[in-house]
Amino acid sequence: MSLELKRILYNISALADLGQEVTSKKNFNEKIRSVLYVIMGTFLAVKGAIFSYEKDKKEIVPIVMKGFDSAFPSRLTIDLAHIESMKKNEAYRLAEDGNPVASDLLLSQLSHAGVEIFVPLWTRDELIGALALSSKFTAEPYSTEDFELLKVIANQIAITLHNHTLFMDLSAQLEENQKLYQEMRLIYHDTIQAFAAAIDAKDVYTKNHSYRVAKYVVAIARELGWDESDIEGIYIAGLLHDVGKIILRDELLNKKSPLTKEEIMEIKRHPSLSYNIISKIKFPWKDVVTIVRHHHERPDGSGYPDALKGEELSDGAKILTLADAFDAMTTDRPYRSKLDLKSAIEELRNCLGTQFDPKIMGAFCRVLEKEIKGELPEPNILPHLDDNFDPSIITSLLEATIKELSV
Amino acid sequence: MVVSKSLEDVAVIYPQGYLNNLVGESLEKECNACIGKGIKKIVLDFSKTKFINSIGISILLSIIEKLKKHNGILCFTSLNKMHEEIFEMLGITKYALVFRNEDEALKHFRVAVKE
Repeated sequence: MSLELKRILYNISALADLGQEVTSKKNFNEKIRSVLYVIMGTFLAVKGAIFSYEKDKKEIVPIVMKGFDSAFPSRLTIDLAHIESMKKNEAYRLAEDGNPVASDLLLSQLSHAGVEIFVPLWTRDELIGALALSSKFTAEPYSTEDFELLKVIANQIAITLHNHTLFMDLSAQLEENQKLYQEMRLIYHDTIQAFAAAIDAKDVYTKNHSYRVAKYVVAIARELGWDESDIEGIYIAGLLHDVGKIILRDELLNKKSPLTKEEIMEIKRHPSLSYNIISKIKFPWKDVVTIVRHHHERPDGSGYPDALKGEELSDGAKILTLADAFDAMTTDRPYRSKLDLKSAIEELRNCLGTQFDPKIMGAFCRVLEKEIKGELPEPNILPHLDDNFDPSIITSLLEATIKELSV
Repeated sequence: MVVSKSLEDVAVIYPQGYLNNLVGESLEKECNACIGKGIKKIVLDFSKTKFINSIGISILLSIIEKLKKHNGILCFTSLNKMHEEIFEMLGITKYALVFRNEDEALKHFRVAVKE
């Protein structure tokens, strides 16, 4: 076999190596390093670098290099007009017999750093990077065949680099979108919190009621194994459930003497008022508006505004009903003082099946018991209870209730 | 991937299997470690090397360059026909001493072989 033929065979196998590396499942950095090794091995270059082009800065930056010393420039400004005047993906010799032939600043910088061959890498009309190689290890000049082969290889790496750039652009876009979404979400939460604060401020006796109810519903929903998105939804429902009270007169909400029949009717409008207000909002969570509308419904069908029965009510509505009632019981109201924790739990128990759902009650008791025993890292109920209860009494009451409910 | 032993001021390194990037890079690391320890006579024994691709060639070039800078000597031993042809065609053999096997290389360095 002639030397020339052997050389051709070697080049073919090098192209096969290149194809294998380009299509491998390695990560981009490993892939592009392997690609550089293949090229250096093919042309017997002792030094080599692959650059990517940073369009906004008009600079090329080495993404992989081998053999060059640490003084090799970390970024190089390019003269786009000059690069555009060069043929795409074609190799240029920067030095002839050791003498630089480059007139351009970039090319003479590279030549000075030991680059002999420079290939601008393009995909269609887009400059994507560059390839630089030193002289050959054997000191032989690059042959015409080498130049031909370099062109084929340059096309291949240009595509690889281009694909990577596209991917990186997409990733950056995705990251930006996620950041925006998080920011929007925070703004959204802040707005809703502000709304809830406005509701709570209107009714002096129920200060922070919405905030506490929101915490309680989260505790119960989590105990029931809800996913985080649904938990976020019911938290929002908790914050907004009384928003309709904004429309009601202050004197009515803060009245100490017993309410007249008309006044009761007026107050009972608040769930549907809340619903009317928030149904204009397109929430990213499901059921927020219906949960709010139904927070005064009862499993026995005697609630309002729609007098729905147990099976027609969602778990979310039932959770909010119980949490709302529990907070009402454990805080002072204009017409009565608050109940202690033990009495409140007994009251909930007495109304099981009629006003409250047993499944929700079970979850409420379990989570309260866990909080008392210190089993939850972030308790949602205990920190808001203003009551000097005896933990052992409450725990046994909760245990008895849980047992009763499980029969 | 790469097995080596040092005998006085000579290191013998056996690249295993396919001399592509993974093995190639550990081979280069091993050689650099030897040079770092002051061992400048390196024998690369290819008896356990099945295949050398263009990546392997570029790694060998780096090793030769590095040894050249440190006035070291590189030997190739146990080259099979295919390896020898590639090395010769590429002109690499001009930059290394080629011996039939490890013992001959060690004899050249006058190292007593303890067996």
